Amino acid sequence: MTSPATVDEEAVLAEIGGALRAVLDDLEFEDVPITRETRFVEDLDLESIDLVSLTSELRARYGDQVDFPAWFASLELSEIIGLTVGQLADYIVGRLR
Amino acid sequence: MTRLDAGGLRFNVERLDGQGAPGAGGRETVVLVHGIATDNLTSYYFTVAPVFAAAGYDVVMYDQRGHGRTTRPPHGYRIEQFSGDLALLLDELGVAGPVHLVGNSFGGTVALDYALHHPGRVASVLIVESEPPTEAWARKMSGLLAGSAYQLHDERTLPWIEETYGRHEARLVRWSMRLLHGTSIAEDIAASRIPDEAAWRSLAVPVLAVYGANSDLADMAGWLRGLLPHCRTHAVQGHGHSVLVGTPETVGPLLLEWVREGHKQLIGDPVELGESHEEPGERQEELREGRDPAPAGLHAGVPTP
Repeated sequence: MTSPATVDEEAVLAEIGGALRAVLDDLEFEDVPITRETRFVEDLDLESIDLVSLTSELRARYGDQVDFPAWFASLELSEIIGLTVGQLADYIVGRLR
Repeated sequence: MTRLDAGGLRFNVERLDGQGAPGAGGRETVVLVHGIATDNLTSYYFTVAPVFAAAGYDVVMYDQRGHGRTTRPPHGYRIEQFSGDLALLLDELGVAGPVHLVGNSFGGTVALDYALHHPGRVASVLIVESEPPTEAWARKMSGLLAGSAYQLHDERTLPWIEETYGRHEARLVRWSMRLLHGTSIAEDIAASRIPDEAAWRSLAVPVLAVYGANSDLADMAGWLRGLLPHCRTHAVQGHGHSVLVGTPETVGPLLLEWVREGHKQLIGDPVELGESHEEPGERQEELREGRDPAPAGLHAGVPTP
């Protein structure tokens, strides 16, 4: 488990990109450019089950400071399905500060 | 993300560690088993799983064979193969003590089958919108799966589902087509090993069965209490077959209370306890008109356009 020394959004976005590639390694994932507005389900065609794997991978990178299951539990299903890269990054940055 | 190899399949498993100090009896584990076809572990991960972890329980969730990101073999979908997976996984994960099993819909059938064959490894079973594997269940479930597969050959079905139930539901149904069209699941379920009724009558494991009062399955409550010696039932008013994902804020506390205390009260005098169940009440009759459109037994059915 590694923790970034500083909390900057660029680094978090890069970690999300890395986690995406780790999770989707065995799937047919095209390396599309990822921005804050990119939606995981609609734009990257992830299934909701892959969001679980993705955040589980990110938890392995950031440790106990992030609690994605509790965060998901506070969201409506429609909000989870519509989740963007930026929203996920904001949550991580907020927890690490 | 954990990928676990067991029995020739690769399982997608998620675990949440219990928070806070363990209770006097040590850290207990809750295993969450999802439904069939359109379902996977997200039904728990996005709803009640964090409730158990926050209350101090270790939580295990997995995608069952053919579902989510677990291997989808072309054959091998009899009920005993699903419950056999559960036994293998708990061995592989090193979960030693008796576990609390929670099963939604078909997941509850798997949980009950597992409990019947491994009673010493189960502290309690909580089923949501579910029933034990019987001859009638196998016929009905096989028919539902075959019927759904047939309906999905109609190209009007998916757009209709998206319009009626939304985009997410349509994605889940589209995903389920790989299972319904690409495997022998309907035939295999029909060929399941069905336990003798006498075995259920001596099941020493406490069972709570939760139903949505609007579901077709709600009528099973009385029969189930008569069949299982340590069984309580509970009806959630205003909900149908999708009661778990439909109202996690209601079901979550119910599940937690059962795992903490409720199940302990059922290991006593079964006759007395049989009278202490919660009845769906008088509303059941009037609610019958407004049944859940989802076919009982499928997590989110594939209705006829």
